[in-house]
Amino acid sequence: MNKIEAKNVDVYYGAKQALFDINMDIEANKVTALIGPSGCGKSTFLRCLNRMNDVIDICKVSGVVKINDYDINQKDTDVVRLREKVGMIFQKPNPFPKTIYENISYGPEIHGIAQSKSEMDNIVEESLRKAALWEEVKDRIHEPGTGLSGGQQQRLCIARTISIKPEVILMDEPCSALDPIATAQIEELIDELRKEHTIIIVTHSMSQAARVSQNTGFFHLGKLIEVGSTDKIFKNPTQQQTQDYITGRFG
Amino acid sequence: MNSVIFLTIVLLALSSYFFGRKKAILIQSNKRLTALPKFYGYYLAIWCGAPAFLLYALWSIFEPSIVRFFILSDYSSQGLLEGELNLFYEKVKSLSRNQYSGELTAELQRSAEKYLNFRDIAKWSKVVIVLSLLIASTGYAYTKISNNTKTREPVEIFLKGVFFLSSLAAILTTIGIIFSLLFQTIEFFQVIPLFDFVFGMHWYPAKAFVRDASEALDPSMYSDTFGAVPIFAGTFFIALIAMCVAIPIGLLSGIYMAEYASKRLRQYAKPVIEILAGIPTVVYGFFAALTVGPFLKDLGLSLGLEVSAESALAAGGVMGIMIIPFISSLSDDVITSVPQNLRDGSYAMGATKSETIKRVIFPAALPGIVGSILLGVSRAIGETMIVVMASGLAANLTLNPLESTSTITAQIVVILIGDQQFGDPKTQAAFALGLSLFIVTLVLNIVALSVVKKYREKYE
Amino acid sequence: MNKEERLIKRYKAEKRFQFYGKAAIFMALLFLVVFLTKIFSTGYTAFQKTWLVIPVNYNADLLYLDPDKKPTTEDINDADFYEFGIETFITLDPDASEDQIMELKKMFAFTFERELKYYLLDNPDSFGKTVDVKLTASDDLDQVFKGNYPRDIPENRRRASDYQLKIFDKLNEDGRVISEFNASFFTNADSREAELAGIASSFMGSLFSILVCLSIAFPVALLAAVYLEEFAPKNRFTDFIEVNINNLAAVPSIVFGLLGLGVLLAVFGLPRSTPLVGGITLSLMTLPTIIIAARASLKAVPPSIREAALAMGASKMQTTMHHTVPLALPGTLSGTIIGLAQALGETAPLILIGMVAFVNTIPGTPMDPAASLPVQIYIWAESAERGFVEKVSACIMVLLFFLIFMNLGAQLIRHKFEKKWN
Repeated sequence: MNKIEAKNVDVYYGAKQALFDINMDIEANKVTALIGPSGCGKSTFLRCLNRMNDVIDICKVSGVVKINDYDINQKDTDVVRLREKVGMIFQKPNPFPKTIYENISYGPEIHGIAQSKSEMDNIVEESLRKAALWEEVKDRIHEPGTGLSGGQQQRLCIARTISIKPEVILMDEPCSALDPIATAQIEELIDELRKEHTIIIVTHSMSQAARVSQNTGFFHLGKLIEVGSTDKIFKNPTQQQTQDYITGRFG
Repeated sequence: MNSVIFLTIVLLALSSYFFGRKKAILIQSNKRLTALPKFYGYYLAIWCGAPAFLLYALWSIFEPSIVRFFILSDYSSQGLLEGELNLFYEKVKSLSRNQYSGELTAELQRSAEKYLNFRDIAKWSKVVIVLSLLIASTGYAYTKISNNTKTREPVEIFLKGVFFLSSLAAILTTIGIIFSLLFQTIEFFQVIPLFDFVFGMHWYPAKAFVRDASEALDPSMYSDTFGAVPIFAGTFFIALIAMCVAIPIGLLSGIYMAEYASKRLRQYAKPVIEILAGIPTVVYGFFAALTVGPFLKDLGLSLGLEVSAESALAAGGVMGIMIIPFISSLSDDVITSVPQNLRDGSYAMGATKSETIKRVIFPAALPGIVGSILLGVSRAIGETMIVVMASGLAANLTLNPLESTSTITAQIVVILIGDQQFGDPKTQAAFALGLSLFIVTLVLNIVALSVVKKYREKYE
Repeated sequence: MNKEERLIKRYKAEKRFQFYGKAAIFMALLFLVVFLTKIFSTGYTAFQKTWLVIPVNYNADLLYLDPDKKPTTEDINDADFYEFGIETFITLDPDASEDQIMELKKMFAFTFERELKYYLLDNPDSFGKTVDVKLTASDDLDQVFKGNYPRDIPENRRRASDYQLKIFDKLNEDGRVISEFNASFFTNADSREAELAGIASSFMGSLFSILVCLSIAFPVALLAAVYLEEFAPKNRFTDFIEVNINNLAAVPSIVFGLLGLGVLLAVFGLPRSTPLVGGITLSLMTLPTIIIAARASLKAVPPSIREAALAMGASKMQTTMHHTVPLALPGTLSGTIIGLAQALGETAPLILIGMVAFVNTIPGTPMDPAASLPVQIYIWAESAERGFVEKVSACIMVLLFFLIFMNLGAQLIRHKFEKKWN
């Protein structure tokens, strides 16, 4: 069964239409990459999946987005519960101006996941371990998260997200602000996380899409041009536009 | 006479602009100039006006004290007190204006004649010297003008100098404030020990009668008169009451404006709330004294409480209303400048809006908010009219908001309203209070501004 | 607690928090509304003035004038209108006792002599006839007529006696009590008598102070801002000036009053109580506000404009004076107006330099003693007479009118002339 099904999704920013009739299915426990030139709407689509577009006043979304067969675009959808299930990693690492510990404990605390201090300690440690950050920060988890390096901050954000065990993790160009070594670490992590979470990643870099994803969708000018297995998109695309983009003729 | 000299200088400077330009145009007919003819005009005008004006200004500033020195030089050797000399000189001046109505002495008459004489000499020598300087400097500049005289550069340097001097105005004002406060305060502390002022528990300036200038100062007269503890306490107490009103309302409305309010609400409610900041404080004072004070008194009566009509609560409460917009708009700004990605991060974790505000945005904005609150406190401490009109004028040491108490600012007004006599400890006490006020608010402002600045830099 | 319950609780907290925010905004707006309503409801009556129209017999005998000869202007000027007035008042109640006659007299403003005289001067034909003349009512009756005084309290706690009220009611029944626009509120100087007090002197005082303030603060602040923004090297000294300006902007206004007193009056010996000194003091206070506004507008001019002018071979000074300053002028002007509006509402520093004296003449130059509108509010508010309360509120209304007017002007300049850079 598909984890996420998007049907006829249109998005407007004020009078300007940003997405045109997007239909896309996303498989569970796989990494799906969304690629395309900048401004093509791939990030906008990603933000439709946990209703982060609600935050932007002028943004209007229509169409159906089903997660576990439930339409999240209904009026009475509880975005708080939705976002507990669908976490998100942003382009720029955005740790809260608090300690590393508090950054991770924030989610479990507001959702009431941990019942005791020791349980919380366990969640923090487990999340940091899963995000491959534990060894680096275990001696200073009560220091500010903003003091970490860029790559560490991004892994802290990943740890923060997985602390509440979301089913889906959305990643919006998570490596664009990082150096190659940090990028490699995050990519490795993504592959690891796939076992427990469904991951959708927006990326600028085609090589990254090829390395980490199983499925790929190609966006252009607000339209989904082609979607399929990463192998097929990169080696044997059906659309000319996809071909041109992959071979670097534009974008 | 002064305005005639001034106008003459201005007119001559203006006309020399045309002379300079004309000469430049003449030269231009056969030689190339280094600048536009009008710069030659400016050049000459500056040479004509600036030195003469400077001399004129300096002369006008120093003339009175020099004349005074000459007149009093006859008497200063007689071992008279400074106050008596002042009095004598004032008499001489009023006699020379035919406005003297006191006892006439030969001495006085002689000095008044001498005074008029000196004034005459001074006036005419001023005219002659200023005008000859003007002619000399203009002539010098006029002969210097030739095709390769640099004129644009000196003119621009001159203008830059004027700009620079203007920028010193702020510093001069600060120096003026410090000078006027410090000078009087030091004299005050020569009579009243610093310790008595800072730790004394009784403040009754009315006890210190205005004294005759010739009478010697007897410090024991003032014991237990200028103890500032009750008014320092009153100042902070009223400021505290004000902040109890202003912080919750200001902060919550600032947060609501920044995070929840629709564009329309923001567009209309924000400027309307800011009207509160534009209302003159004397109007608040009237409102507090006429409406809030009696209202609280009646309310207290119906509850069986004794409430003074001039309670600290009325003054502090109304002051709090006045400060609301400062806190709300500053904290609105501060909260709006928290980067959106922190909000996104929290929402993406499934946090509600209020959780995001309370647990992520507020801590992130805290330094800026603290800064804005400190600025609010500084306003509350420096606020004058509300307290003068709505709170008591007697300095009670009390922590009961229903009683009346007084503040630094109110006491300054009480002491200085009406006629002041310089050199009297009572007047000087107002300046000592002013200095304390200046120091406290200065420290608060510096801390607040640097906290806010650091905060801004962090998120830029 | 399971997850569902927890979620319900979280949403309740959310609702509560939003409610607090709305309540806070509501409170702030409520204060403003209460405040303005109070001022307007007590103040609007001051724009009306109560007159008593009484029959006056300009009888020659009563005026000790020759009944057969038309009196000249000098004759009228020399005549005794006090006694004449008293005789006229007695006609309202011919049976009045000595005390009651005094009460009758007190029903009118003390200017009745002048009013009776001027009526005759303006209407010489009424000599020897009985005519209706309009006289200013005393402020007690004025307040009674406007409903500001309760009538149903014991006589000894009332300012108007039963006898006066009886006469007054009779006049009222005859339609002899009229209420008209109070022009004298705008044309009279201050007075000890509430019914005669006006704002002309304090208005002129404010006007002169603001003009002095403008003519000093605007040029100095503009030049200072130009220097700091365009010419000043970035060094410790200019940093110091900057810190100085920011701090000066937050110094309590009363400290500027002490500066005015301690330096302008005591050291430079400028005349006390005058708008000149008031204006200089206020200019020092508004200086930082205008400098900050001017610098912000100069900063907003994009560097590309300066570079374009410099690339054309203009000197730095020419670039600044021809391009940068004109573009920054609208912002500077609107900042100046806002600074002046603040100065217009300022009271404490003016009190310290003595602009709180009772002035019953209208000042003609900035060197004449004067009060200012906010100081007038203070003086009247401190006065015990009930008649001044409505005057204070009316004066506040006038002051607020000017402040709103100035702020709208500043907005207009900003929206209309300021160029928006992208």
